[in-house]
Amino acid sequence: MLTTSIIILAIFLCAFGGFVVYDLATAKRHKEVYRVKSSVTAYLMLLPAVILAFLFIMLPILYSLGYAFTDYYLLKPNEIDFVFLDNFASIFKEISAKGMLYNAIKNTITFVVGVVPLQIGLALLLALFVNRPCFGSKIFKVCFFAPVVISLSITAFLWEQILAPGEGGLLNAMLGMFGIPPHDWLRDPNTAMPCIIVLSAWQGCGYQMLIFLSGLSNIRKDLYEAAALDGANWWHKFWLVTWVGLRSTFVYILITVFIGACRILTQPMLMTGYMSHTVTLSYYMYNIGYTERWVGESSAVALLMTIFIGGITLIQRRLFREK
Amino acid sequence: MKKLLTSVIAILLVIMSLFGMVACGGEPGSGEKPQTDAEGNTIVKIMFHVDKSSTEGQAYQKRINAFNAAYKDKKIKAQPIFKARSAGASGYETELQNNQLEGTLADIITFDAPNTAAYANAGLLHDISELIPAEDQDKFYSLNTYNGKLYGLPIQESSAGFFYNKKIFRDAGIDVSGFTAENPWTFEQFKDVCARLKNHGVTAVDMRIDATKDETAPYLLYPFIYAAGGDFVSEDGYTATGFYNSAATANGFQFIKDLIISGYTSYAIGATDFFTGKVGMYLSSGWTIPDLDNKYREQFASRDDWGLLPYPKGAEAASATGSWSYAITNNHHEDKTAALELLKWMTSAESSKAITDATGMIPARKDAVKDYAVGSPEYTLMKQLELSGKERPVTVAYPTFSTTFNQIIAGLGNGDVNQLLNAATNTLQDAMNKIKDR
Repeated sequence: MLTTSIIILAIFLCAFGGFVVYDLATAKRHKEVYRVKSSVTAYLMLLPAVILAFLFIMLPILYSLGYAFTDYYLLKPNEIDFVFLDNFASIFKEISAKGMLYNAIKNTITFVVGVVPLQIGLALLLALFVNRPCFGSKIFKVCFFAPVVISLSITAFLWEQILAPGEGGLLNAMLGMFGIPPHDWLRDPNTAMPCIIVLSAWQGCGYQMLIFLSGLSNIRKDLYEAAALDGANWWHKFWLVTWVGLRSTFVYILITVFIGACRILTQPMLMTGYMSHTVTLSYYMYNIGYTERWVGESSAVALLMTIFIGGITLIQRRLFREK
Repeated sequence: MKKLLTSVIAILLVIMSLFGMVACGGEPGSGEKPQTDAEGNTIVKIMFHVDKSSTEGQAYQKRINAFNAAYKDKKIKAQPIFKARSAGASGYETELQNNQLEGTLADIITFDAPNTAAYANAGLLHDISELIPAEDQDKFYSLNTYNGKLYGLPIQESSAGFFYNKKIFRDAGIDVSGFTAENPWTFEQFKDVCARLKNHGVTAVDMRIDATKDETAPYLLYPFIYAAGGDFVSEDGYTATGFYNSAATANGFQFIKDLIISGYTSYAIGATDFFTGKVGMYLSSGWTIPDLDNKYREQFASRDDWGLLPYPKGAEAASATGSWSYAITNNHHEDKTAALELLKWMTSAESSKAITDATGMIPARKDAVKDYAVGSPEYTLMKQLELSGKERPVTVAYPTFSTTFNQIIAGLGNGDVNQLLNAATNTLQDAMNKIKDR
């Protein structure tokens, strides 16, 4: 693998060198002497970053892409054969048979549909709340942001205690005060995923709140004054001033939350284990690739997932682009 | 032009990576002599799954030091590598795979017993059937075999049983003194004790049915299926249909389900409920013994306050076995003589005693077993191993078995046993077929 990586890196560097030579030759042909000099410096300064980015970002992606067309089994790394589209065929077979992959797709979609609006909505509400100059707004900011700095595994553990079955769980104990019987939240297929959605939105919204806050700070105050003079109520001010001012921030948040939601892994892994009602695409990939050792098939799922996320992201960008 | 150039570069890189992967997938180097150092010592590398600073790691290091001192004149030097399982068993496995790929696989590795079939099938382990004499093999409680061949020797043994709160049992008027490893209780007697505990107002037993995120539930609960006369896979490890979903296997799982439905156990039992006197019995391995001796003194001041009961028997008696083992690898060193010497040293009675002194587990060798007092928890575990110890199913698709077993246990509360078993059997059979076809 080391030899292969070195060969690929060498080819990449040759290609990069070719690109640089071509660029410099073009500049020289157009007699742009200043650009030639500055370009040489720029490319030399760029080189370490390019090599590192290639080694740690591009190369793993290329390997994963390649593995998607092989029968790579983790315990037989010296016997890798090309199987062309076999991995994709078995993926579609698994989906049509409504196997674990089908559940993983269904659960991931449920999670994304649930968490994206909830997390962004919560983040926006919190940002609007703490953006008003009032007593204790800084304390609220810290409180709302606190879950973001806590490790996801610790958050999952804490919520596992809150949602614990029986009367020992905090939520059940609280509901018990109103005569509601205890419930096994994480083992019940109807409640497990909603619980994970709520926990994830709670954990992540503090970060998006900060980004919304920075967006809000860029909206000029005189726009609100002008709106007030025109007789706008709070809704008009929000919809016609705040929302319009936050549009680009919202698109950024929508795309990052969407991508993050598609990759959900830690919460179901730590809170429920590999169960049909909570397995997600990333968890499925992890299980197939590492636990069951089928790296080839896992890479094929990863490739399809990348295409899917990339496609949806492009659609989102197109839908929300500035006119 | 720039776009064209960029596209050409991208396509070139993808093609190279594809070819590169196949190029790197060649046969590992073979036939090399073991590595020697400047003083002419043959170096034998041994890779452990624990951290060097842990109690267990220190015990291994001491035995390696003793080996190096004893084999100084024979010019063999052991070199330990400690790779703690930071990312779980799969993280350690990735390390093994990387070493295999790079041709740096240690001469001896430690591995978890259920992986024997998969590792042997992948050619990772060296067949030591002929290298370890039969009389030496007989000294071990269990062996790592696959397709009739010996691939590894256990480091230590673990077994499990039902820890019970003697005070609760006394208060409930329950006498279990007659249930020993030699004379285990039956499924019916087990249920009867549970019923009496429930009537006494405590949760009868923590069966660990909530521990379905890792190997805990499969390890602790699989003996119930064997005890009910069931099975999981065929002898060759490639057929699950007819075994995993057989009527006898269903009976074993139904027994666990009955305990849930009767309210004798539940998914809601807290991790410390037994230790705080809320639960009468607790299914766990020998690793709970040091906890009860040292950590929960308020509830369990001495061994008069707790005891250990064996697994109940159904159609037959069965109990949990299996822990981590040593194996000589099929690495690029052709001569396995030095590695064999180290393997024999690390699995000797002396090493077995030294390592289990540090870990508190049961020695893997019968001749290293300490003089446990009859009726003590350690004695019960050791006798159980001897009389009814049965290993987890030997199959190349063990990870899938473990996953499906967890899914069955998690689903028992509300699901139908046969439906759960059929789904699990199909999944496991598919996984087996896939590996067989490769």
